[in-house]
Amino acid sequence: MKAVSLENISFSRLGRGRILEDISFSIEAGKKVAILGANGAGKTTLLSLISGHLKAESGKIELNGQPLRSLSPIERARMIALLPQIERLPFNYSVLDFVLMGRAPHIQALSQPSEQDYAMARSALAELHLEHLEKRSAAEISGGEFQLIRIARCLAQEADTLVLDEPTSLLDPANSQRVARELALLAEKNRTIIFSTHDLALVQSVSDLVLLLYNKKIMMFDIPSAVLEPKFLEKSYGISFRMLQVPTAYLA
Amino acid sequence: MILLVVLLLGVFILYLFIGRYPRLGFTSIRDLLHDTTTQRVFFSLRLPRALGAFLLGTVLGGAGAMLQTIFGNPLVDAGFLGVSQGSAFGAAIALVLGSGPSLAKNLGDKGLAVFVMSLSFVMALGALALSLFLAKKFKFGGQVLRLVLAGLAVSAFFSSLLAAVKYVADPLKTLPDIVFWTMGSLSAMTWQKLAGIAPLAAASVIVMFVLRWRSSLLSLDDQVSRSLGLHPEAERAIAAVFAALGVAAMTASCGIVAWVGLVVPQGARIIFGPDGRDALPASMLGGAVFVLLADGIAKNLFSGELPLGIVTALMGALLFVFVLTSRKTEMAR
Repeated sequence: MKAVSLENISFSRLGRGRILEDISFSIEAGKKVAILGANGAGKTTLLSLISGHLKAESGKIELNGQPLRSLSPIERARMIALLPQIERLPFNYSVLDFVLMGRAPHIQALSQPSEQDYAMARSALAELHLEHLEKRSAAEISGGEFQLIRIARCLAQEADTLVLDEPTSLLDPANSQRVARELALLAEKNRTIIFSTHDLALVQSVSDLVLLLYNKKIMMFDIPSAVLEPKFLEKSYGISFRMLQVPTAYLA
Repeated sequence: MILLVVLLLGVFILYLFIGRYPRLGFTSIRDLLHDTTTQRVFFSLRLPRALGAFLLGTVLGGAGAMLQTIFGNPLVDAGFLGVSQGSAFGAAIALVLGSGPSLAKNLGDKGLAVFVMSLSFVMALGALALSLFLAKKFKFGGQVLRLVLAGLAVSAFFSSLLAAVKYVADPLKTLPDIVFWTMGSLSAMTWQKLAGIAPLAAASVIVMFVLRWRSSLLSLDDQVSRSLGLHPEAERAIAAVFAALGVAAMTASCGIVAWVGLVVPQGARIIFGPDGRDALPASMLGGAVFVLLADGIAKNLFSGELPLGIVTALMGALLFVFVLTSRKTEMAR
């Protein structure tokens, strides 16, 4: 089954003109897809379109074979979870309460979370090895841990597809490695994961497929070893690349 | 939380039994059983006033917590959507019109009170509607900033109109009434008045209580709450309207009682945690305790009555300083 499919999608933004032009591709359920491209190439726009936060000018998007437009927000939230690149924490919620909010699409608007919802939130924390943080305040944990509890909130949502916008950028190397390690473990399970990144090591450790954006269009959509070639990256990013073989132990 | 309920009950009973009749201090049970005047004071004056204080505090604390949570901003209260200024203007207009010779004769004292209350309620809702409308029209900033800016503009608009009304009001008869009204008071609370506002206040409190968890979801960035299946703009507007509805009803009958909605939720979040399921009920109970205490002071400290708004502002400012300097206050990211 196709988790996500796009047909002839175009999108423009006021004052910035065309951002994406005639994009078509589809992703089989369970695949892990990295989206690469220079700043401004349209990665975030593409992810926002897939997760229903922006409306395409033309073209068709389907989630699990159903047109995105026909889905109610709750139906959509049960299929796809989005991790925006930046998030403001308005109050110092406890880690468990914060992750529990991921249960929203499964709880009626006028009800409160049940014991079962708590159990789901705890198992989402456990999946990312964060059980010990549950009582801590989300404001006082490290940046990497905050990023991970945001991912745990997406897991608690029980959506088949995770959409992550640059999950490891804005973190220091140690925190970024920790998040990358957990993402590699998540990638072994059968959720569909779509993420944008500039981190080529993360691409290699997590993704089955790479989609390279250049000049509003898809330049390549193939397995990592085919796309991560200096000549393609050079064209897309406009700088020269040299591939070095490093023992994988350094990357993990 | 149970402790807070017990505290509230204790303060409520104390409030009922402390007064200046039959003598300063505690009213004894024996007086209450045997003296008919004491009974009258107790049941027709103190009890409705105590219930009014309870309702006022519950609404102001709850609405403050609700608005701070859904706008993700701890410095917001019902005043910021223009509700207080709008209702003050409505009341002032009603007082000036009502003091005119022709209208005064027709209305009578009771009629005037109803007139003041209705006009102030209508203007409070009008100010709220204007704020929401302007926020939609503004071209600058995100939803929260647009609402804050719209509320600011509407508040400024109505406070300048209020100043204009004060300027033309009769300085001997009407002006003192307007000034007293803007400082808030429960002294005129009767069963009749209480029956008028209670349904609106209760509706507001019940809806806010039901939405207590939802409010936390709305505190997240719009992009996040939308990806969790919410309609952040619409749901935030509904929650804000119900919060403001209760405040408008209470303000229309009690005048402007400041600081409760701002400072009580801050304390509630620190003691009970920021999640709406804790902070919102705690703010309602805490607000009720706060107003009962403040009104107890306002009516008993001196032989003449102090305006309630002055006492709450004084207590609120002290509590605010205490909260912000306490060790448990930590800025969220």
